[in-house]
Amino acid sequence: MLVYLAKRLGITLVLLFVLSAIIFFLQSISPGDPVRAYLGANASPAAVAAERHRLGLDQPVLAQFGRFLAGVVRGDLGLSFRTHRPVTTDLASFLPATVELVLSAFVLALLLAIAFAFSAALRWPASGVYRGILLIGATAPPFLLAIGGIVLFYQQLGWLPASGRGPDDPGPTGLLLIDTLAHGDGVGFADALQHLLLPALVLAIAPAISIGRILRSSLESTLTADYVRTARSKGLREGRVLLSHVVRNSIGPAISMSGLQLGFMFAGVVVVEQVFSWPGMGNYLASSIPVSDFPAIAGVTLVLGTIYIVTNAVVDLLQAAADPRIVA
Amino acid sequence: MPQISPRPRLRAAVAAAAIIPLIALAGCAAGGSAKTANPAPTNGVLTVGLLGDIGQPPDPDIYYANNGTALIINTYEGLVQYKNNVSEVQIAPRLATSWTVSDDKTVYTFKLRSGVTFHDGTPFTSAAVKVAFDRRIAVNGGAAYMVQGVKSVDAPDDLTAIVTLSAPNSAFLDELASPFGPKMESPTGLTKNAGSDNAQTYLMTHDLGTGPYELTSAQTGTKYELTQYPKYWGTISPFTKIELPVYTDPSALELAFDKGAVSMIAAALPSSALKKYSDTSYSKSYFLPTLQSALITVNPSKSFFSTLDARIAFMSAIDKKTLVKQVLGERSEVATTMYAKGMISGGADKQTIAYNPSKMKAYAKTAGDKKLVIGYATGNTNAEQIANILAAQLIADGLDATAQTYTTSTVFGWAADPTQGPDAFIDGNNGPDGGSPYLWGHVFWDKSGGIDYFLCDNPKTNELLNQALATGDEATYIKAAAEYESTGCYLQLSYNKDWVVAQNWLTNVPQAQNLGANEVDFSLLGIKK
Repeated sequence: MLVYLAKRLGITLVLLFVLSAIIFFLQSISPGDPVRAYLGANASPAAVAAERHRLGLDQPVLAQFGRFLAGVVRGDLGLSFRTHRPVTTDLASFLPATVELVLSAFVLALLLAIAFAFSAALRWPASGVYRGILLIGATAPPFLLAIGGIVLFYQQLGWLPASGRGPDDPGPTGLLLIDTLAHGDGVGFADALQHLLLPALVLAIAPAISIGRILRSSLESTLTADYVRTARSKGLREGRVLLSHVVRNSIGPAISMSGLQLGFMFAGVVVVEQVFSWPGMGNYLASSIPVSDFPAIAGVTLVLGTIYIVTNAVVDLLQAAADPRIVA
Repeated sequence: MPQISPRPRLRAAVAAAAIIPLIALAGCAAGGSAKTANPAPTNGVLTVGLLGDIGQPPDPDIYYANNGTALIINTYEGLVQYKNNVSEVQIAPRLATSWTVSDDKTVYTFKLRSGVTFHDGTPFTSAAVKVAFDRRIAVNGGAAYMVQGVKSVDAPDDLTAIVTLSAPNSAFLDELASPFGPKMESPTGLTKNAGSDNAQTYLMTHDLGTGPYELTSAQTGTKYELTQYPKYWGTISPFTKIELPVYTDPSALELAFDKGAVSMIAAALPSSALKKYSDTSYSKSYFLPTLQSALITVNPSKSFFSTLDARIAFMSAIDKKTLVKQVLGERSEVATTMYAKGMISGGADKQTIAYNPSKMKAYAKTAGDKKLVIGYATGNTNAEQIANILAAQLIADGLDATAQTYTTSTVFGWAADPTQGPDAFIDGNNGPDGGSPYLWGHVFWDKSGGIDYFLCDNPKTNELLNQALATGDEATYIKAAAEYESTGCYLQLSYNKDWVVAQNWLTNVPQAQNLGANEVDFSLLGIKK
């Protein structure tokens, strides 16, 4: 297992290096001028040139890349041209909001997927209606779903808020649900939950269908397996048959798909954060791209890349735990 | 009668389940504007929605963008400001109650307001003027140029400041009145919080000004909060707290306004929302004067516009009246002058290129290169529409025209190599730092100014502008404008106004705005009785 983990870590580092190199290559061929983001639109060419020199942007791209890598090793991702703050400070402020949204959406997606898969595989009543609603939700583009949700649940019904995260974060984790609970702030927790529900639901629907479909077909296939028939004929209770024999043998592909979807959710959170004015990394990235704030773009890319790679490694480990034959 | 099997029934139920909410949503959306007025706040909180984050730290010596100007002008004050609620450029007192200017425009003497304190309790005296100017130079932000010509600042007594410039500058008062101009900052606070960066870190989340409000929370990308400064020397408004939440989607901002969760939106919504707010029972739209304009510039480095004939033919093909009416609507009026409206008395700086589509039709027939790209900045929907309309018109003339979007940083990158830019660019909304014609001409027409995207430069224009700067002579400014118009590189399409949409209980909006700031002084707002 240690060798396996070491290999994954090595691959992760190589991939992140390649990712950084690509970002810097793109920066070097981009016609954009990030110094304007730093100084302001009306800054004179003389002021822009002086600042470009001070920021080291007039150096060869390889020198800039070397400086960036040296900074990364020290945990320094540079200074955002837009916010004038260290990128690490910005990420520490925006990442928790994204993590909270994506993880909540992921949990929601898993619950919806399990309900979808079991209701379909076990032929529960009205499972077709449930499947239909999920399918319609999954086929709509996220921004449309988000706007529809806002119009219905905020504008018309007034049940849920349409933007932001709710209460101020009392710390220390930056995850509002946890922090408000840790401070015994029930009102703040309810407020944070209300703000989270709609964006999380919008983000969860498409992955729920993808995971649910895989789980359903695995379940259907396992339910007809010989060993399940044998277990039933031995008189085992249906619940035990399901848990001990059906679920355990069906869950592998769903875990794999869940990991993939979790990675996609981090990458695809930008649109949802934009529509719901969610102060996360997606919004940070969306604001940084138009002004070519490369330190910020590189920082977000590295973090998202790391999350994606780590998620996949964790999925591999979970699959190995569920089915030891995979490691062998 | 054929029997319906359970499966089709189920499908029908699913279809109904899907369609009914959609119909309901459509109905909801259609009836969105028919609602009653939202109640005024009773807790003293005014909520002003921001569309997008302010973009830079709210430090008066760094901030040089648009969206966060409200934070600067409500927490800090300069010596002078532009007069509120008028459509001409007029300098008004702020922390200086009066001033005199030497004949040669090099010595400016200010009498300062007494009884003013900074938010940290430090009294405001003339010593603060030099400290503020020095910090601006040390921080060296985009607007540092405004004090780079200051030779000395003398403080003969606590309430007199004498600023001596190294060269004549008739635009100096305009620079001081600018929202980006030097603001007074507590000398004590700057020293105490200097750190290693002239207090830049401290001023990201705090303020050291004298304004009606203090910056009490700055959560980048999330929200900003101002709290009334109880010892403010001027008008005390009924709003003890101003919350400025950041919205990243215009529809969400509109919905929040419609629900009453946002009290006011200043210069943030696209023109497409004008109609919606033109006849609501719960809101009022204000169209307030600014120095902002929509501009069209062409790129002489591209082969299509390498000749003056082509540039003049293109500018003559622009039907300003129709474009302004179709795209910009009530928030703009057709521009007739070279500088911003109100900069030159009586509008004597007239644009002379008249609408004459036949010139472009004729030119298109003979043009060797028929391909051209009209650019606009990403996210500027008004500029996008104008670019699309112009491209369609040029296609009808027989040219191969397309409209293309460019990010802000790309737009500013063209100055390094204009051949990389489009053939023409639609600037949907842009303006100078202040009300002096020099600040307009230098920025837009001089390649060393900052926003002459394609470096279309005319040395004679620059020479005249520099002469006029020294004297303030309007006739010279008019000559400079005429010289630049002859390049065919530039057309001012419209004078843009600040469109402020506010709940109908909010009063004094025009009285709280001035044409230089593009923002509202929250301390002057009120609640309808």
